[in-house]
Amino acid sequence: MEDMVHVERAMSTQQDIKIKANTVQVYYGENHAIKDVDVEIADKTVTAFIGPSGCGKSTFLRCINRMNDTIDICRVEGDILIDGEDIYHPNVDPVQLRAKVGMVFQKPNPFPKSIYDNVAYGPKIHGLARNKAELDEIVEKSLRKAALWDEVKDRLDAAGTGMSGGQQQRLCIARAIATQPEVLLMDEPCSALDPIATAQVEELIDELRQSFSVVIVTHSMQQAARVSQKTAFFHLGNLVEFDDTDKIFTNPQDPRTESYISGRIG
Amino acid sequence: MSNLLIVIIVFGLGAIGFLIGRNRAMASGEGDMRNLHSLPFYYGANVGFSTMIPAIGVLALWLIAQPFAINNAVSGMLSADNIEAAGSRSLVMSDVRRVSEGLDAAVTQGVLARDEASEIAFDTTDVRALLASVGVALGSEVSADTLRAAQRYRVMANRGNLLKTIAVIAAALAGLAMSYRATTKDFRARNVVERGVLMLLICAASIAVLTTLGIILSLIFNTIEFFRLYAASEFFLGLRWNPSFSGRGGGSELGILPLLWGTLYISFVALLVAVPLGLFAAIYLSEYASKRVRSVAKPLLEILAGIPTIVYGLFALLTVGPLLVDVFGNDGLLGVGWMSGGTAVMTAGLVMGIMLIPFVSSLSDDIINAVPQAMRDGSYGLGATQSETVRQVILPAALPGIVGAILLAASRAIGETMIVVLGAGAAARLSLNPFEAMTTVTAKIVSQLTGDSDFASPEALVAFALGITLFVITLGLNIFALYIVRKYREQYD
Amino acid sequence: MTDATANPIPGTASKGKSLLEQDDRTKRRNAAEKRFRAYGIAAISIGLLFLLALLWAIINNGIPAFTQTFINLEVELAEENLDPNGNRSLEDIRKVSTFGYNPLIGAALIAETADIETEVSDGDLTKILSASAAAVVRNYVIENPDQIGETVEFRLLASSRVDGYLKGRVQREDLARDRNLDAAHLDLIDEMVTRGSTERVFNWDFILGADASESRPEQAGIGVSMLGSFFMMIVVLFAALPIGVAASIYLEEFAPQNKFTDLIEVNISNLAAVPSIVFGILGLAVFIQFAHLPQSAPLVGGLTLTLMTLPTIVISTRASLKAVPPSIRDAALGVGASKMQSVFHHVLPLAMPGILTGTIIGLAQALGETAPLLLIGMVGYIASNYPDGVASGFLDPNSAMPAQIYEWAKRADPAYYERAWGGIIVLLLFLLTMNIIAIILRRRFERRW
Repeated sequence: MEDMVHVERAMSTQQDIKIKANTVQVYYGENHAIKDVDVEIADKTVTAFIGPSGCGKSTFLRCINRMNDTIDICRVEGDILIDGEDIYHPNVDPVQLRAKVGMVFQKPNPFPKSIYDNVAYGPKIHGLARNKAELDEIVEKSLRKAALWDEVKDRLDAAGTGMSGGQQQRLCIARAIATQPEVLLMDEPCSALDPIATAQVEELIDELRQSFSVVIVTHSMQQAARVSQKTAFFHLGNLVEFDDTDKIFTNPQDPRTESYISGRIG
Repeated sequence: MSNLLIVIIVFGLGAIGFLIGRNRAMASGEGDMRNLHSLPFYYGANVGFSTMIPAIGVLALWLIAQPFAINNAVSGMLSADNIEAAGSRSLVMSDVRRVSEGLDAAVTQGVLARDEASEIAFDTTDVRALLASVGVALGSEVSADTLRAAQRYRVMANRGNLLKTIAVIAAALAGLAMSYRATTKDFRARNVVERGVLMLLICAASIAVLTTLGIILSLIFNTIEFFRLYAASEFFLGLRWNPSFSGRGGGSELGILPLLWGTLYISFVALLVAVPLGLFAAIYLSEYASKRVRSVAKPLLEILAGIPTIVYGLFALLTVGPLLVDVFGNDGLLGVGWMSGGTAVMTAGLVMGIMLIPFVSSLSDDIINAVPQAMRDGSYGLGATQSETVRQVILPAALPGIVGAILLAASRAIGETMIVVLGAGAAARLSLNPFEAMTTVTAKIVSQLTGDSDFASPEALVAFALGITLFVITLGLNIFALYIVRKYREQYD
Repeated sequence: MTDATANPIPGTASKGKSLLEQDDRTKRRNAAEKRFRAYGIAAISIGLLFLLALLWAIINNGIPAFTQTFINLEVELAEENLDPNGNRSLEDIRKVSTFGYNPLIGAALIAETADIETEVSDGDLTKILSASAAAVVRNYVIENPDQIGETVEFRLLASSRVDGYLKGRVQREDLARDRNLDAAHLDLIDEMVTRGSTERVFNWDFILGADASESRPEQAGIGVSMLGSFFMMIVVLFAALPIGVAASIYLEEFAPQNKFTDLIEVNISNLAAVPSIVFGILGLAVFIQFAHLPQSAPLVGGLTLTLMTLPTIVISTRASLKAVPPSIRDAALGVGASKMQSVFHHVLPLAMPGILTGTIIGLAQALGETAPLLLIGMVGYIASNYPDGVASGFLDPNSAMPAQIYEWAKRADPAYYERAWGGIIVLLLFLLTMNIIAIILRRRFERRW
């Protein structure tokens, strides 16, 4: 074991490997949506998945916290390891897994509850607080971390659905980090937001890197360049290229990556 | 001439109008359709419609107006004594109508000659026996007053019918002639016909309003009549329901409270059965069940909603009631002796609950499905289990809609008739024991209005007051429930 | 967990908690999940169980109504009783009422059972036969006067108690307080069954026949009230379909956005939820009290049910009209058709299958409705004569299937309960057929745009 960890560490760029995927295949019924994806995602890094729509980047993202389980016709093969543990092992409870691997969705989806209840929902169901004071603390810390505290501290009882789009998305991020995950998955978190809200969320993502391994799916290459350290390029269900973000954008190895970067496909 | 015959004649004239109108248009276009403004069909239709619609309108108006006119003219002839003796003016008037019908029957059967009918005098003829011989039975002897009024009534009715026939056919012919003359090749027949059709469509749509109006007016008029005979305060606040059919008025206690209590109690039991079962079934079907299970279980459950209520009534009376007595009755399995007869609040409530299961479940199913998938994803993404998601995210989000569904079910339960008529019993009672027989507003409407009711005694008229109470309660519940559901839908649209 | 609560700062939570082991909390939560799922399954199972119980009750109690026991009896049509003058004149034969036939039937029964040892007195023997037996023999004689003096074999209805005994509905102990039959009769019947003089055959009279008086449940049939229902459905179809479709076309295609349209819409959605009994009151007040249409007539019943069914038809018709895509309308308007033409030539035909499906479902609803009919007098012992023709079918007092079932359920004799259940089977078969037709229509013509 010691040796293996050592070897893996040597292969990565100075950081721990948080998520490791081996020959992952995903099928939607007959449709082979993800083909042979191998990837290693480092801890405390922002990793971006880019690629044209329908390339499988979101599908792959949803495999990492087994959100695809909720779709009947979806089948996943291959291994995905988090901290060396296969998350598709029959002993793994997806509920426990998702507490460890949080997710933020494309469209802000606050529950029709108060802001406080939205953030407190995760800690409550996972039993993270023994009393009201602790829960208050978790809510406050999460909202602070999501850079939302100052805007909402006076109206925690207001409905989460009544906020602006950018606020809603930051609320969803706060909600996700309140369960104290180790990995945060973001599925095009800014696609429904205006430029100002996008900038706020991007800033937030950069800060979150200090605590989590962040994986973000994005449509926008500029966004990937701005927020991520590592970038993976997906095309037609294949992982074409995975490298440091700088390298992908300045010196792509694969001609397909180059075409996409330069705007010829997508 | 009978109304049916008049209608047939009008339709015949309409058909003739269609043909000659079309031919005239073709002739005016010199036999070439392209010279006409509209297709020949429209010219024909214009003439046809112009013939039939005014005539039918005249007929309808006449049919409504004539009885009023005659009633007014005739009821003036009745003496105050006569009215007092019978109890009310409308009772005497119904006698008058029956006598007049009897005279008509006597004439058609040849017992009386045509002019004899209007001349027979009160002191020389036994009118009651005469009418009985032609099959019209009268409840009491005919007074002189009544007979004269009846003769007058008959004459006026006959004259009215003749005038009606003339007026209707004249209207048809006038419409025919006018529209026929207007038929030239430049006449915009299509536009006119389409405007006419649009008017017809509007009339059809207005029937919904007329129906509501009809319900409200018929309930209100009869209820006012009832409150004239019986104090409203005693009706709304009375604790006893004890109608007597012995005499006209008097001696009856017609308090609505025991009936309302029975209605609400039974509905409550029904909801107690239907809401948990329906709600859990809906949750399972929309959140857990595989497509196959759903495609089998949902239609099967909905069969319960398609079964006529008379079937449930019989099921309550003959199956569930005896079964409950076997368990809770005197010699029952439990030996508790709570139940003495098969008809009880429990029987009716249980069966009504079964009937309402699919009602609650399919409404809730729709409402749960309207909660966006993003809500579920958000919750699962945080590591919630399915049941936590349902209980803490989906149900609270769907709550207003579900409350609306339950209110709709409650209104259904309150208005349900056959199950309570057969399953709940006939005794009006203010009791807490659900194993006792009680009765409801709907059941009493049926029992007060079934049989030969003359709409003059408070015992029959009370049904309209019960009806208006029922109507107001269910309408209120419905409007409130639909409002809630619509609000809820808007939230996610 | 201790880690987490001691240090609830997000992101610095415990590492190294293995995913492969479920912690206690997860186990508890999963158990709650299983329980919750079980509640759902239980709810559906209970619902289905109720359905099963209901169907079982219907079939179990109703099937016996479709067979009926007859007793084969050789009756001597004695001339001295039936045609004392011996001239075979129909007039004289008609003068003999059914009372005159009773002694003949009595004698035939005595002869039939002569060699059976029984405690039943000769005079009580006729209790095993229906009271209709004499009428059957009389009708035969009037049709065949030449048979007078002969001995003819008749198949006569057994009384409802005998029928019930042979079907297992009537038990011996039930007869202790029964004036209509004794246990001794049953011994006699048992003997006659072994001899083969009784017969249980399919009961066409139940399906096609008329209602009978309270004391003759063995004779009662649902046929006449079926006709009543049929005439009512004709009224509903020809009134509700055109009005409903016209109203829907107006609301969906032409109505401007204004207060009047809103009023109509609100009215329709509220009428759909008005209790059916209120429509009964409306029918009573408007059609009978106000318009003086004949009481208990299928015409009035049909009109009342029309008002009740209209909202259903309007709602489903509007849904089908809405499902026709606007591109069809645009295409028709684009070639110069008027709005009216585009609707009647293109939209309406395309929406027709949906409209028909909705109409059939509305009709099925109307067919099973009882409460309004009770108020307009379609109950009681009135479905006892076939209508003479179409006009009489609409205007003469009649009942309807559900009202007839209600009537039977109210009668005291349990033999009528069997009829009521049987009537329900007939009614449900009609409803089933209508729904199947609706489903087939929908499957076959359903179009996805």
